[in-house]
Amino acid sequence: MNRQAYNPNWAFHTALRARAARWQRQQLLDAAQLKAIEAAYPLEYYRPAWPLRVGLFLFAILGISMASGFIFLIGHELPIASGIISCAACFAMLELLIKDRRFYHCGADNALLYVGLAAAGSLILYIFGTYFWSGYYASFRVTDGHLLVPLTLILALLAAAVLRYADALVTATAFAALLLLVSITALQIPWGQALLPFLIMVTAAGGLFLYRRLARRVAGTPLADYYASCLLMLKVLALAVFYLGGNYLVVREGNAELHSLSVSEQVPFAPLFYLFTAGIPFLYITLGLRRADRPLLLLGLLTLAFSIFTLRHYRSLLPPEIAAVAAGALLTVLAGALLRALRPTRFGLTSLPDDEPRHFNLENLIQAQTAHAPDAPATGGFEFGGGQSGGGGATGQF
Amino acid sequence: MPSPPPSTRYLADLQSRGLLPPDQATRIAASERTQPFSLHYELRALLYLGTTLLAGGLGVLVYQHINTIGHGVIIAVIATLMAACFTYAARHRAPFIWGVAPKTSVGADYLLLLGCLLLVVLEGYVQYQYQFFGNRYGLATALPALVFVPLAYWFDHRGVLAMGLTALASWVGLTVAPLAVFTENAFWSDHIRGAAIGLGGLLMLTGFYSEYRERKAHFAFTYLLLGSNLALAALATSLVRAAFHEQPLVGLGTVALMMGLCAGLYWYARRTQSYWFLVLAAGYAYFAACYLLVQLVLLFPDDIIVLMAFLLFPLSALLVVLFFLNVKKILHGPAAPVAPLPPTAPQP
Repeated sequence: MNRQAYNPNWAFHTALRARAARWQRQQLLDAAQLKAIEAAYPLEYYRPAWPLRVGLFLFAILGISMASGFIFLIGHELPIASGIISCAACFAMLELLIKDRRFYHCGADNALLYVGLAAAGSLILYIFGTYFWSGYYASFRVTDGHLLVPLTLILALLAAAVLRYADALVTATAFAALLLLVSITALQIPWGQALLPFLIMVTAAGGLFLYRRLARRVAGTPLADYYASCLLMLKVLALAVFYLGGNYLVVREGNAELHSLSVSEQVPFAPLFYLFTAGIPFLYITLGLRRADRPLLLLGLLTLAFSIFTLRHYRSLLPPEIAAVAAGALLTVLAGALLRALRPTRFGLTSLPDDEPRHFNLENLIQAQTAHAPDAPATGGFEFGGGQSGGGGATGQF
Repeated sequence: MPSPPPSTRYLADLQSRGLLPPDQATRIAASERTQPFSLHYELRALLYLGTTLLAGGLGVLVYQHINTIGHGVIIAVIATLMAACFTYAARHRAPFIWGVAPKTSVGADYLLLLGCLLLVVLEGYVQYQYQFFGNRYGLATALPALVFVPLAYWFDHRGVLAMGLTALASWVGLTVAPLAVFTENAFWSDHIRGAAIGLGGLLMLTGFYSEYRERKAHFAFTYLLLGSNLALAALATSLVRAAFHEQPLVGLGTVALMMGLCAGLYWYARRTQSYWFLVLAAGYAYFAACYLLVQLVLLFPDDIIVLMAFLLFPLSALLVVLFFLNVKKILHGPAAPVAPLPPTAPQP
């Protein structure tokens, strides 16, 4: 049996076809060559357009939960056996659908994977709850040291699932489990609480190190495409957590939360956190620009915004309307000047659009957040009705 | 490590299969190396954020100093801006046709939208300050609808149409924005629900008519998007109510109505090959079918009711999943040339 559930060539073919299509748009390939390439690298899996994936996911979740309800109804006297049967049925079904129907992240297989993992995780917690720490329910807290062993098991399970199914959401859950594990461990030892922000940052840095190791390891093989979304998720989360772990607002309010204070107070090592809060966004933005790394750049901009929010949360420098006018004028002039100056190219940067498809659209995000005037939902960019997809998926337009 | 992973692997694979001559591969690799990093969308986003902050801040400043500026000046400024927008849009207007009018200028599109927004602002302002419409609120909400819908047809602008339909709905007392349909409307009140079903049904019929007779067929999307959500959400609420109050006749009538509207949406989805409306129709039709299923299950004797429920409901969800899996065939019809490779095609 392969270690990967899906055929790694599916991911490789998809990525290669996307590249080839871009080269054709840039007129580095002619149409006949693209046709030949698409014939040589067929998409042999099932993955429909995204509204259908959403529908498949929702109805699969509905069906699976009702079916497991049926199992528990019959076997309610043997909950562990019912849990094992549900979990095994999910994974068996998943493997079967991937093998026979060539499902590839099409909604239904994601649903099976999530429900199967959730069943396995609950099973682990249930077994520990019933046989090892009975009587702890009354005083249960998430920070309880008893969680260490089951959480480690769950983390191992999630890591194995990521290796096999390459699902980005499972990657994110595994990273969250790791952070929870580190936090719980830190809270068990006397000095841990003060060191917690640094431990979180060290964990995030470890996540980044792991990302680099894995990215080097899979480079040059189809596995690089297979795990691309997982690696991106790991990188983005590690970078975000690294910043949040050192952010003054998060540290101060988190500290107050841990000590059950109603008003947060000054934290130890405060100057260090000022430095992190101010410095990390600029580090991200600089590195993002120098390495042409868009996720890093976008994270830099978002963290910069959060740092400004942190500053204004504790010190009100100007009245809001004056600050808005000043910042707005500055941003408008700056962005306008850069749009003009970077045309066509300067320092390896350009303000002209490239034809990469955008998965994360900062402009839409800002527009969606700021526009609450009369709702005009159908002004464009909202047309699923184009009708040129014909299924097949992976072409990026439908 | 640069963010777009290097293409050498793809180029090597293409060359080894003889699909790419070496000199072309070198050219592609060189082009990838020298390609600048585009900041277009990031800078546009910052520009948008900047103008939003500026406009918001200036608005607050004007509000704070309203006594020194005077209402007349502000109204005059808004009216002048609006007139300028409409004039510019009218001068760049393409001649009217029943199909999609060719786009003459992007700026004119946005300025038309801005002019309509300014009209709403102006109307609100004179009503708030001078009670221009007095207590005739109906007139105040009907006016934008009466202006926007003809404008939408005249300028061939779907955004303005959506604004007009939103105004029309608020004249009836409803919210049509897709995500707010359930949360903002008091569907439990009979009066509101009736209005929602009526207006939603009317919008859907208009949409079907425009698609069928090709009278601005591309407007059908907007009509159906706003109308279907409104009518079907209200009908679904009415179904839940009928289930609670045990009114089987009302329930069956509602189911028939829902199924009819869903069939219409299904027709439109097939005609325009729109996945979105297909999922919408399937979702609401499933909801209506569940009502029938519940009624069916309740007919069974008491001792096997629970068993039947746990058997039939997963089965129904499975049926929907199967429907989605075969949707490609359904959308394109059996005879049409289907996508590159069907999922079960034998591996070459």
